[in-house]
Amino acid sequence: MLKLALNTTLAGTLALAAGAAMAQDYPDEPIEVIVGYDAGGGTDVMARTAAPFIEKYLGDGASLIVRNMPGASGQIGITEVANSDPDGYTIGTFNLPGMMARTLDREAGYDRESFTYLANVVNDPNVIVTPLNSDIDTIDKLIAEATENPGAVTVGMSSLGGDDHFMLIKLQEMTGAEFTIVPFSGSAPARTALMGGHVSMGILNISEVAEFQEELNVLGVAQAERSRFAPDLPTFREQGVDLVNGSMRGFVAPAGLPEDVEAQLLEAFNQLADDEEFMDAMAATANPVEVVTGEDFRALTSDLYDLAEGVWNETPWN
Amino acid sequence: MYGDLLSALPEVIGFTNFAAVVIGVIAGIVVGAMPGLSATMAISVLVPFTFGLEPLVALGMMAGIYNGAMYGGAIPAVLLRIPGTPAAVATTFDGYPMAQKGQGGLALQVAVVSSSIGGIASAFALMLLAPPLSKVTLLFGPSEVFWVAVFGLASIIFLLGGNVVKGLISACFGVFVSVIGSDPIYGSDRFTFGQLELLDGISIVILLVGLYALPPVIDLLETPLKTDGVSSSKLGTDPIWKSLPSMKGYWKTWLRGSIIGIWIGILPGAGGSMAAFMSYNEARRTSKNPQDWGEGEPEGVAASEVANNADTASALIPALTLGIPGTAVAAVMLGGLLIHGLQPGPMLFRENPTIVFGFMWQFLFGAILLVLLGGSLATNSFARLLNLPRPLLGSVIIMLMLIGVYSIHGRMFDVYLMLGFGAIGWVMDKLKFPLPPVVLGLILGAFAEENLRLALRIGRGDWTHLFSNVTSQILVALTVAVVVGPIIKRRVFDRRKKDKAA
Repeated sequence: MLKLALNTTLAGTLALAAGAAMAQDYPDEPIEVIVGYDAGGGTDVMARTAAPFIEKYLGDGASLIVRNMPGASGQIGITEVANSDPDGYTIGTFNLPGMMARTLDREAGYDRESFTYLANVVNDPNVIVTPLNSDIDTIDKLIAEATENPGAVTVGMSSLGGDDHFMLIKLQEMTGAEFTIVPFSGSAPARTALMGGHVSMGILNISEVAEFQEELNVLGVAQAERSRFAPDLPTFREQGVDLVNGSMRGFVAPAGLPEDVEAQLLEAFNQLADDEEFMDAMAATANPVEVVTGEDFRALTSDLYDLAEGVWNETPWN
Repeated sequence: MYGDLLSALPEVIGFTNFAAVVIGVIAGIVVGAMPGLSATMAISVLVPFTFGLEPLVALGMMAGIYNGAMYGGAIPAVLLRIPGTPAAVATTFDGYPMAQKGQGGLALQVAVVSSSIGGIASAFALMLLAPPLSKVTLLFGPSEVFWVAVFGLASIIFLLGGNVVKGLISACFGVFVSVIGSDPIYGSDRFTFGQLELLDGISIVILLVGLYALPPVIDLLETPLKTDGVSSSKLGTDPIWKSLPSMKGYWKTWLRGSIIGIWIGILPGAGGSMAAFMSYNEARRTSKNPQDWGEGEPEGVAASEVANNADTASALIPALTLGIPGTAVAAVMLGGLLIHGLQPGPMLFRENPTIVFGFMWQFLFGAILLVLLGGSLATNSFARLLNLPRPLLGSVIIMLMLIGVYSIHGRMFDVYLMLGFGAIGWVMDKLKFPLPPVVLGLILGAFAEENLRLALRIGRGDWTHLFSNVTSQILVALTVAVVVGPIIKRRVFDRRKKDKAA
């Protein structure tokens, strides 16, 4: 770890020295965007949708080239980003809380200091759902049931150490209720099991249930305010439960980016946040947008890391 | 429920999507006609290349290849007594004697018409059965899916025929491969040796290309086939419409063969060759002139060919509805669906109706096109394909395999992995270990493990939860029947033999 930090600093210093000379005409070659997932997945769609807008705001004929490096839940791609030259010509997609959780549950070739945080773009809030014929149709009933019969409520969700899992942990810590986790290999099979009534509740993301409101009871949305994506669904806060959690996807660059390059990229992402055309394109691909840039994004990541670390120390999930 | 079926039709008739089926059928006949090359191999090699295509174009080609190859296998079976695909073994029984008598052309015409009829019946079965089944699949929770996987594994080991112990060893190898990668529940590494590339497990496509494509190619290069050319005198060259009336008496055989083929296709494990054998035996048993069978009875060709095509589309019924493929080819096609981000299961019918129903239409069109494209004129030229230089063919396929596998994730690691599986496949082939159990072991093993663990979590550690509902109980009973059935049958058979001897 120390060696990695040393390397990063060293590389950073070198790049800073070189940066001054080259930054005037940044970008003068194509910028590679490394996506740690297959083409066509949620993260890939975000990258490809955002790319032309970033090109527009960087100006000067900038071009972004998306490169998919799938594998190991995005870890192969993000490790590549962390270890590439911090010259602004390699950026990558970044998923929360997954990328931070992976630094805890396995040996990772990066940590939270390995990146220059550009912007989080998507925030897909968690929702709690129950099968349509279930008696548990409000969050209060759910909490009551799980408190009276500890472990009797089975929770279908996608893998451990993901946003769904942290959502459940927040709920457990907040209420003292106990649940039995049933981690499916993805949201789609979890949702199918819910529709078949094989598990008693599920934690999904709002983009995954928006079209299924007729077939599932949605108990609430874990977002501070109602989602522009599904405005009919009430938040948990409205119902007196302070639950906010979600799956986030954004862009990072390697740590030690030359300051002016970083500024230029941040400026482009800031402009992205106000682009209606971009918002529409994202809405069309079922991606709820919440742009958080620069230092705020770094702080957000740090908070999530601390939460994950606390959970990991108390109840490691593998 | 069937409304989506009609609305998918215009999409399928579009030029590119239709052209894909046509190309697929032609390619399939060519591949099937090459001894050693099978539909599974052709589709495995193709899958990585379909990545950049529209889903329906890719699926149309696969449907076409599947149908084409099942018929193509009959060409060398009739002309040379070399089955082009394993499924065409039963076609040699009467097809080759017919060719010896100078009726090779008629035999191929009977084969193409029968293949087409089998394929059409199978496509209809898929269209009619899959949509209602996809509604029922919501009943399949983790414990039911676990039993389906166990049933599938048991069928492939015990029903495939041949040596049960070797089948079991093959299946175990497949299940072991399924264990490599991160643990499905906790995400901890298993047998990855620190390789990040192995963390997601071994891709079915890589295993398939290695296992199914490399050994036949080595074979192609190893043993030059001496054909002495196929003389056109053996063929007989009546146009196909003239010989059609003589086939109308086969309808019973066609009907029986179709039903057998469709049923075998739905069952996990067994494949086209078993369907063809069963159909051939049944047809001979009920024939008025069983003594002529094996001496050049056209109805024998009809029986075999109708059944080996009737298992094509029906093999996709469990694959599309439950995500559990019944045959190796269906497994490759699932790989093709997954590569396009299409997750099989009930949601597929809902979220991508055009694609899933379009795919069904493509099976139907593929089967119909078979008669047109594989008709008398074309059959002559396909027969000449056998004279292509085999080393050239082999090297072209190897090149396609390497490029294809590399392009899936763009990494050499996968290529080495594929070559490793190829070596294993070649050794297994030489030692007569069956390959389909490896493939299904990989797929079903992963299913069984994950769903067993989910089911036990849902039952909170109570094993009786696995037997707690009727669907599970039926599946358990079926599994027991598959395992015990053949043993009892053999016992009874042996006793009868003894009685006769005494």
